Amino acid sequence: MITLGSQGKNTFLEAVNKKSGANVLECYQCGKCVSTCPVSQYMDFPPREIMQMIKLGLKNESYMANSHWFCLTCSACSGRCPREIDIPAVMEAVRHLAIDENYINDSKKVKEIRKFHEIFLSMIKRYGRNYELRMMAEFNIRTRNLFKDMHLAPKALLKGKIPLGVKPLKSAKAIKRMYEVAEKLEKNK
Amino acid sequence: MARVGVFVCFCGANIADYVDVPQVVEEVKRIKEVKYAVEYKYMCSDPGQGMIRDAIVQYKLTSIVVAACSPRMHEKTFRKALSDAGMNPYLLEVANIREHSSWVHQKDKKAATEKAMDLCRMAVAKSIANEQLHEISVPVTKRALVIGGGIAGIQAALDIADARIPVVLVEKSSSIGGKMAQLDETFPTLDCAQCILTPKMVDVASHPYIELIPYAEVLELQGFVGNYKVKIKKKASYVNFKTCTGCGACWQKCPVKVPNEYNMGIDKRKAIYTPFPQAVPNKPVIDAEHCTMLQKGKCGICAKVCLPGAIDYQMQDEIIEREIGAVVVATGYDMWDPTPYEEYGVGRFKDIITSLEFERMVSANGPTNGVPQRPSDGKVPKNVVFIKCVGSRDEAKGIEYCSKICCMYTTKHTILLHHKVHDSHAYVFYMDIRAAGKGYEEFVKKAQVDTGTTYLRGRVSKIYKKGDKLMVRGEDAQIGQVVEVEADLVVLATAVSAPKDNPELARLLGISYDKYGYLSEAHPKLRPVETAKAGIFLAGCTQAPKDIPETVSQASACAAKVCGLFAGDTMKKDPMVSTINNEYCSGCQNCVLVCPYGAIVTEEVPMGHGSKELRTVAKINEGVCQGCGSCVAICRSQAINLAGFTDPQIINEIVSI
Repeated sequence: MITLGSQGKNTFLEAVNKKSGANVLECYQCGKCVSTCPVSQYMDFPPREIMQMIKLGLKNESYMANSHWFCLTCSACSGRCPREIDIPAVMEAVRHLAIDENYINDSKKVKEIRKFHEIFLSMIKRYGRNYELRMMAEFNIRTRNLFKDMHLAPKALLKGKIPLGVKPLKSAKAIKRMYEVAEKLEKNK
Repeated sequence: MARVGVFVCFCGANIADYVDVPQVVEEVKRIKEVKYAVEYKYMCSDPGQGMIRDAIVQYKLTSIVVAACSPRMHEKTFRKALSDAGMNPYLLEVANIREHSSWVHQKDKKAATEKAMDLCRMAVAKSIANEQLHEISVPVTKRALVIGGGIAGIQAALDIADARIPVVLVEKSSSIGGKMAQLDETFPTLDCAQCILTPKMVDVASHPYIELIPYAEVLELQGFVGNYKVKIKKKASYVNFKTCTGCGACWQKCPVKVPNEYNMGIDKRKAIYTPFPQAVPNKPVIDAEHCTMLQKGKCGICAKVCLPGAIDYQMQDEIIEREIGAVVVATGYDMWDPTPYEEYGVGRFKDIITSLEFERMVSANGPTNGVPQRPSDGKVPKNVVFIKCVGSRDEAKGIEYCSKICCMYTTKHTILLHHKVHDSHAYVFYMDIRAAGKGYEEFVKKAQVDTGTTYLRGRVSKIYKKGDKLMVRGEDAQIGQVVEVEADLVVLATAVSAPKDNPELARLLGISYDKYGYLSEAHPKLRPVETAKAGIFLAGCTQAPKDIPETVSQASACAAKVCGLFAGDTMKKDPMVSTINNEYCSGCQNCVLVCPYGAIVTEEVPMGHGSKELRTVAKINEGVCQGCGSCVAICRSQAINLAGFTDPQIINEIVSI
């Protein structure tokens, strides 16, 4: 059971609105985002419910939901939203706030997603672009599931979907520098 | 000898698909009186009517049969075609071969065709005995009665009076204004209700064509459209309005305090009172039930302090009679009493109030000077829960229908709450948000986005007390979880219900009402302001719940109907009315008893030619008679004849099949 009315001002709503630049109060719960979202069936709370939870100030529940981790930020939802709410921005805001405030969803799936994000970013840092083969290998090793999706590899290889080598971008150094600046900023925060 | 023309219509495919029209034509041609018979795709179209006009002249026809749709659809159309060809329009007969044959016998074309032939034969037989009839003219009293002085009655009265037609406006309470006068601001524009209403109230009082009779009730209505007589009881006010200056000394000094109806009983008024400062007329009345002088003969303070000597304890109820031609009924609505909601603690918890009580609280001229207060301790509430559909859409405890205005007034209340108490928060439990109206959806968005009202989708299951708070439990279907809101104040959006006096008034006026007590319109779509009784119209919530814009539109529509009715000095009426043959009438008066319209009275006529002895016979009032034929059926001496449905006509019909 959820108790409302005793917590005073809805600071959670204000924080999400500020960080995302969207106004969650605009949401009138039509559910078009849910039926648009390609991954809503994997979320424990689909986007519409997350919006209502933010409106009600249910901070803990929103942070601990896996929805903002599953969100692909593909923006199909916001493209179709009749109230033109930037839902991916809201999802991202919840994700950032959850990390900042140390709300860790330690379910296996979320852990994997976080690892995927980390490996992807390290690829960009190193090559300035993604190196699929290495990324897959690293992901499988770090998630201790060596043969995950292996059966797809021969087919994908034959079709040339998995290049065996990678040619770093000319601007790879500049991108690396960007990472360093960003990390420094993060530390000084 | 009669020369009949028969015109059979295909009605596109409506008739032709299920009735063999050419065969029907062949069949009627065999009747010897039929001199001309023809089929056509659309008889009602201009070429179709042209065929009738031409045939009348060419074949010297003496009566016409049109076999087509229901006479309710096109009888008038075809009558006009007859008139245009110089023929008496009442020589027309319509055989309804669509509703009575093709539509109801779609599975059996042969039988449908045979039935259509029968119907045509009957119509031809009847038409042979048709007589020329002429429209009846009835004189009109050009004065309208408006019952109820709320916004509907005010608008109707002003619109009629502006057309220079005298209006008698009867109001039950001592001031006009009705429910609207109790409202603070109105959705969706947030205009102050008083600011837009009181100028109209003053206009009513000063209008040369409006006779305002406040503190009065309609007792009796007799007569018929254009010629009604109304009896009005003017209740004793014990104050002479002519000499009273409205100074207010009387109610300031009156020692008796009673709950103030205008403020929903939140504060007290005196036994001599004006309901609110802007009352029209702004004269006090004495509430006889609570006045010590009138009850026990002691006190008399108001009479002592009244300088003009306007107080008259001897005043009696007065009966006023007026002749009028039309009636607009605008008796408004009642708020539904939420007592059956025991699970909400209605009656047990002081901090549960109704929407109209909240309205008075946030009203600047209200009992709390515009700042809402908890009735229990007078504190200003911070968390307020609004519960919609209390009584509405609840077959178990309340009424089946949607009260239509609660969604919007609750939206307004959340905005007003935020205006009056800036750090407050409003929660609304709702089932649907019905915001169909100009600017309404935008208004809801304003509450949700700008004001930050929290909408929770679900009906509240129970309310219980926790400390000095009320815990309101319901589901939020948006997240599929049960929520509890800690509330300082709970406002119930109680349903709109029909005025409890409506059934009695309906009987008195001779109009019908529905199972809820709302007065019934003649047709839900195409005649929404008329009643089934000619000359009586409906405006506002007395017909069904509606908001102010809709009420005002309906009131103006009533005014247009009244003005239309009064446009000529006389009214035209169909001649299908009963006539009495005095020679045969035995004076038994059975017809008087069966007539549903009160159209039959009695008169004294000489026993014989030149005789001085008198006997009683029935007399039909042509203006009232609707031609139903009940009197014809009951008359044992066959003294009554109904024009257009005479015995020879009916017998011809029967013989023909």
